[in-house]
Formats: sequence, C-alpha cells, structure tokens
Amino acid sequence: MQKDFHYYATYCAAYLAGFSHDECMDICYSAQFVDCCSATYLSKIGAPRNAATTQLQLELMSAGSDILSLQNITRIWSSFHFLPGDLYAYRAGCTGIYLSKYRLICRPNGMLLAATVRNAMGRSLQAAGIAMHVLADTWAHQNFAGTPSLVINNTDDYFYEIMPLDDAYDEHRITFRHSTTLKDDPDEHIYVNSPYQGSEHSIMNLGHGRAGHLPDYSFIRYKYLPAWGDYEEIVKDNPADYLRAFTQMIYALKYLRRGSGSFEVGRYDTDAMIPHRAQIEGIIRKRQTDSCDDWRSFGQSLSGCEIEDFDIDKYQAEYMQAENASRRDETFLGKFLTAALSQKSMVTHEIFTSGNLLAGFSIDGRLRSSLKKGK
Amino acid sequence: MTVVQRIKNIITGVGMIAGGILMTLYPDMGIGAAALILSISLTLYGFRQIIYYITLARKMVGGRRILYRGVIILDLGLFTLTVSDNTKVYVAFYLLGIHFFYGIIDILRSREARRINAPSWKLSLITGLGNIMITVIAFIFAADLRTLNVLVYLYAAGVIYSGFLRILSSLRRTAIIYIQ
Repeated sequence: MQKDFHYYATYCAAYLAGFSHDECMDICYSAQFVDCCSATYLSKIGAPRNAATTQLQLELMSAGSDILSLQNITRIWSSFHFLPGDLYAYRAGCTGIYLSKYRLICRPNGMLLAATVRNAMGRSLQAAGIAMHVLADTWAHQNFAGTPSLVINNTDDYFYEIMPLDDAYDEHRITFRHSTTLKDDPDEHIYVNSPYQGSEHSIMNLGHGRAGHLPDYSFIRYKYLPAWGDYEEIVKDNPADYLRAFTQMIYALKYLRRGSGSFEVGRYDTDAMIPHRAQIEGIIRKRQTDSCDDWRSFGQSLSGCEIEDFDIDKYQAEYMQAENASRRDETFLGKFLTAALSQKSMVTHEIFTSGNLLAGFSIDGRLRSSLKKGK
Repeated sequence: MTVVQRIKNIITGVGMIAGGILMTLYPDMGIGAAALILSISLTLYGFRQIIYYITLARKMVGGRRILYRGVIILDLGLFTLTVSDNTKVYVAFYLLGIHFFYGIIDILRSREARRINAPSWKLSLITGLGNIMITVIAFIFAADLRTLNVLVYLYAAGVIYSGFLRILSSLRRTAIIYIQ
C-alpha cells in the first residue's frame, strides 16, 4: 500500500472510529512513517538502528546474502509489511526449510494480526498507527512473504487484469517491463516489476517485487499463479480487499480507543462506513495509481479540518533536541520507536517460538534495553 | 543486483581477463587449465541446482526448469572433464563450441529483454554477437591446423571480452520494485 491508504485513508478510518482530528493526524502520521523509518534515517537522528521499520532501496541493494542480513531483512519486512498469516501452516511433502518460508506468507486475519492490535492497546497513538499499517498491508500484500525467496515470491508471465464489462468481466493480459525509467500504464495494462533472479535469496525476490505495484493499487482485480500455489491461480480482488482493510481498521481503532473489550479477527465495522459507502467505494475503484487527493478531500469533508501533507522531518527536531534518553522516549518519535521495537520483538518472538529461525532469535528484552540506552 | 553480487561479478570478470591473458602467454597449458576450471564450475553449479530443486524448488511453479538446467549443466561439466586431457586441438574446438553456445544464449536473452523493454538488451546482444563472431573466425583459422595457436589466442580474446562485459554489466543500474 502507498501513502494514499496508509496516510489519508487511515486518517478517515480513525475519524470514523471516533478519534479527534489531532489524534487522527498522529495515528495516520505513524502509519505512514512505517514506510520511512529506515536505519539510514535513524542513524541520522541518533536513534537505535534496530528500530527500523523499513529498508531503503540502497540499503536493500547493499544488504548481504549471509544469514544475519537475511534475518534482519525478514525481521523488518515480516513484522511491518508482510505479517505471516499462519506460522504453523502445513503442506504435505515439503522439506523443513521450504515450510519455514511457506509459513511466512502474509495473509489477513491471522493470529499475529490479533497479537499486533492487542499489543498496541494502551500504548500510544503511534502504536495504533503502526498496527494500522501492519493490518492494512496484510490485505494488500497477502500471498507474498517478507523474506527474500524465489520459491515463494516468484511469479511467471501468467497475469490477467479482470475488468468489469456490462454484467460480466473482461480479461486483459498484463505486460510487465523492468526498466528504471518507465512508469505503470494502467490504460495499456503495462506495469513495471522486478526482473527474474534465479538466486533464492536475491533481494529481487523479496515480497511482491515480481508482481510490481499491482498489490498497491486499490482499483485493480487480477489473476496470477503464485510460485507456491501448486499451479492454482489466485484471483486478487483489490477493491474488495481494500474495503475490508478499511472497515477492519475502523473496528480495530474503535477497540483501541475504548481501551477495553476484545479484538477478534474476521470482524469489520461496516456500519460506520455505510453513510459514506458510495464515496469510499468510488475512491477505491477509480483507475488511478495515486488516490491521495481523493482520500484527502474525503477526510477533510469528514472532519472539517485540513489534513496537512506528510512531512518526514516533522518531529525530527523535537527528538534530536531532547535533553536525555528518557526525554527522547517521551517525544513523538520516541513513542513511535518504542512501539516499533515492541512490534518487531513480538513478531520475531512468535516466529522464533514457532521453530522458525528465518527471523533470527527472539531478542525481546535486549531490544528494549538498547533503546533505553539510546544505542 | 546487490552490492555483493556486483563485487562477485567484478571479481569473476577480472579473473576471466587474467585467465585470458595467461592463456595467450602459455597457450600449451592454458587451454587444458581453462577446460578443467570450466568443468569444475559447471559440475558444482549443476549439483547446486539439483540440490536446490530437491530441497526447495520442487514445490515451485516452473521449478522443473531448475532441475532440467541442473542436469544439463552437470552433464556438460562432467563431459568437459573427460575431454580436458585430450589433444589440445579437440579441447580448443570443444571450448569454442561452448563459447558459441553462450553467444546464442546471450542473443536469446537479448530478445527476451527487448520484449519487456529492459535496457540490458543492447549489452546482451553485443555480448552474444561478439562471442559468435570470435568463434566463427576461430573455426576458419582452425581449418589450417598449423595455426592452432591462433585458435587459442582467439579463444583467449573471447574470454577477455566476456570478462570486460561482465564488469560493465555489474556497473549498470537494475530496476527494483520498492515495496511500501
């Protein structure tokens, strides 16, 4: 997902869940900041690098293919962008090493999603924002894993866009190109993707790179053959999935705002959306690669307040000018980093205790203490 | 391509250039050594591909291609080993044959890259055409067995040429989808 959903749509969901404009801004800023908080950024502001929630393109390009680098990549991408759906999934006739990768495939409504939302309970608005990023991505990024793996994340040429035509559907062959200069062209069904790399651990085989940005566009419906799917095609209905993501965010945010009760997977707050259904569906289904303007207009019409543009440096000075480590923890970014470390520790711990070493060892306690020391 | 892959490619390219130069300096030993190194690399690569298929790619859509590639390359590696101690002329012919084969593969890759508008198609085409041209010239010279050393020199030139292009391709930008 992109800024349109993580920032502006998250603002709308938070407002429909009952938060005030200022609270919504903190939540949606945190949700979007997950895509910006890289080790490079953290070293610039003097924050602990192990709180990184993403990796920049150049960081990925310079990452090694040794076990520690792969575990670092897996920790970041599985915790924040490709939350595993079932850490105990079973598939007959597979080796253990295959199963460990297969179990990291991202899916919505998994046990880890419930743990993510519950983990944000009673913490901070920043924690709620991070949880909303993770939740939304489970819908967009489903069927791909947050670890570099050819046998899981590869796709072939079999890609068709499914478009409504009167009362039926029409199929159009999708053409992929890989060039640094080209842009996606939905009108011609031409999209950019990462090239095929035969190496199992190539960074090109991380997440949905082989499917390009198709999972990030709310309007598109398409079918394809995932590498792990035993030649069974998957029909990905993004408009329906994005609508579920939006209503599940409202449900989760209401739970976090209440501060009590229980969060259950598979539940959606469609009632809160009903008065605005036509408008929301209109934005989601509109054929455009960036819906920021539409979501912003909708958000502003909901709250009557202006939603400022996302500014990555908005809270940087506050964090850097804090007198000491404990004061830093009280800043906006400090709270974000505490929540990020908590989320990463929780997911790493769950993956580790499931017997899967792809994300490394569980270092729950050590991560927290290193943050306090300001390393 | 990651930084590590680029470094590996550059080291391989430098190794190929050094090997090509050594071959021109010591043509009698050079060809046999090249065949041996090629054989070991192909055999190890073939084994790795087969093991990868058994442990992981068996369950992957299109994974059987990895098995076929592994078996063919392993076979080629073992066959190269059997010819490496033959008369120099046969070894040279064999190596040139492989060089020709790589040239064709490069041209096929170039066609595929052009189809998907990847900018690498030009480099692949130049590599392929260069390899084929060198091989054809070498076969023409080889008609006269008295000029066998020319055959070795031409093969060495092909290896140096491939080494340079490998280094060049390591310095190119690669498209990568940035996930958000």
